[in-house]
Amino acid sequence: MTLLLPEAVDTRALGTRIGAAAVRGDLVLLTGPLGAGKTVLAQGIGAGLGIERGIVSPTFVLARVHREGRIPFVHVDAYRLGGRAELDDLDLDSDLAESVTVVEWGAGLAERLGAEHLQVALRREPGSDVRTATLTASGPGWAARLPTLSR
Amino acid sequence: MPELVLGIETSCDETGVGLVRGTTLFADAVASSVAEHVRFGGVVPEVAARAHLEALVPTLRRALGEAGVRRSDIDAIAVTAGPGLAGALLVGTSAAKAYALALDRPLYAVNHLAGHVAVDTVEHGLLPTPLVALLVSGGHTSLLLVDDVAHTIRTLGATVDDAAGEAFDKVARLLGLPYPGGPVIDRIAADGDPAAIAFPRGMTGPRDAPYDFSFSGLKTAVARWVEACEAAGRPVPVADVAASFQEAVADVLTAKAIRACREHGVGDLLVGGGVAANSRLRTLAEQRCAAAGLRLRVPRPRLCTDNGAMIAALGARVVAAGVTPSALDFATDPGLPVERVSL
Repeated sequence: MTLLLPEAVDTRALGTRIGAAAVRGDLVLLTGPLGAGKTVLAQGIGAGLGIERGIVSPTFVLARVHREGRIPFVHVDAYRLGGRAELDDLDLDSDLAESVTVVEWGAGLAERLGAEHLQVALRREPGSDVRTATLTASGPGWAARLPTLSR
Repeated sequence: MPELVLGIETSCDETGVGLVRGTTLFADAVASSVAEHVRFGGVVPEVAARAHLEALVPTLRRALGEAGVRRSDIDAIAVTAGPGLAGALLVGTSAAKAYALALDRPLYAVNHLAGHVAVDTVEHGLLPTPLVALLVSGGHTSLLLVDDVAHTIRTLGATVDDAAGEAFDKVARLLGLPYPGGPVIDRIAADGDPAAIAFPRGMTGPRDAPYDFSFSGLKTAVARWVEACEAAGRPVPVADVAASFQEAVADVLTAKAIRACREHGVGDLLVGGGVAANSRLRTLAEQRCAAAGLRLRVPRPRLCTDNGAMIAALGARVVAAGVTPSALDFATDPGLPVERVSL
């Protein structure tokens, strides 16, 4: 499913719908180049979980856990992780079953953190601020919820 | 005579050990693992933690040698308890606890961000109160109102997305420049025109939070500009992009810091953290403080980046304020808010 996101508020709103639909144990992988809107989408997911403030880039610390919402929100930046061993070193497993985990730059590395996941590929159209988001569900849980994410 | 305070800092990629008595710096030994992080384009927690483990004891010996003192001369120990990388913090705090126990000296678990403020005492003497502090680094961008660095600090605003130093790293990545981005952009910007490209100033609208920052949109604007240039088949004017980007960052940081001073009736501004080493930020802060009639304090670049002296300097203030030492079983806190100066 591919959605057109004309402005940052639309990216945030998509995130909010994902956050509102999320249940414990969910894994969401965000892909897209620098400036594609990954952090804005993550802030929207936080808002959908009831976390209105404080979701800032996890780049420096690699992983942040926000507990103010209805489900704990684990926000990871995997850009600097060289492989499985380094992902394991973050010790994420402990929280995952109880949390919604969102991994930026996690494609090809973080899929195994959950039995299934939702992948959101963000792309910015050259020369404009319009983004597209391609949502791919890897299992039945997200596949069933995919229609609710479109609007 | 004030106590000789040992400070241990391991919150990120620098292993720092400092010795401070009062406001006098006796030693500032730093071992950096930054070279080991270059291949990743940033700090990797486990690499940092292992590097701290290897560097800590040699760095402490070096600090004692620099100061010409023995371990038994240490009166108190201060250590960074947060914010920072969890594994990295554990190395420093474990060492500090061991030294406190072995030497039978009081231990103070202190806040890394407050250390960036307190370090200026060893360069420019005791801090005026109140003071507005602008802290800018790879992991933090905050405006603080400091009533007493030993125990009363309030956050006025902070970044809502990327830290300023992170924006430097990411823009460097966009321009094909190496990590860390701060020093290389500063150097290349010297040959560019800061007015060449009008990059956006984030969070400066009338309805935006006056003391919060946003650098994510700026990063996107740079990405767009570079793309458009490449799409048109023109060579990217890297120096102009670097200079214009750096100007946008320095402009917003200084404008908001000066506004915070004015609106809180504060006459002194301190700029600290690794990004305070940026030449354009320093120059613009000087010009705007002079124009606004504010006194500016910026520690020398060596003291702006992470080091043990800042923790020793903060420890000296905390000890002087008569704060109760920390219990030996205190826990590190990777997200420690600056309001908690000591645990």
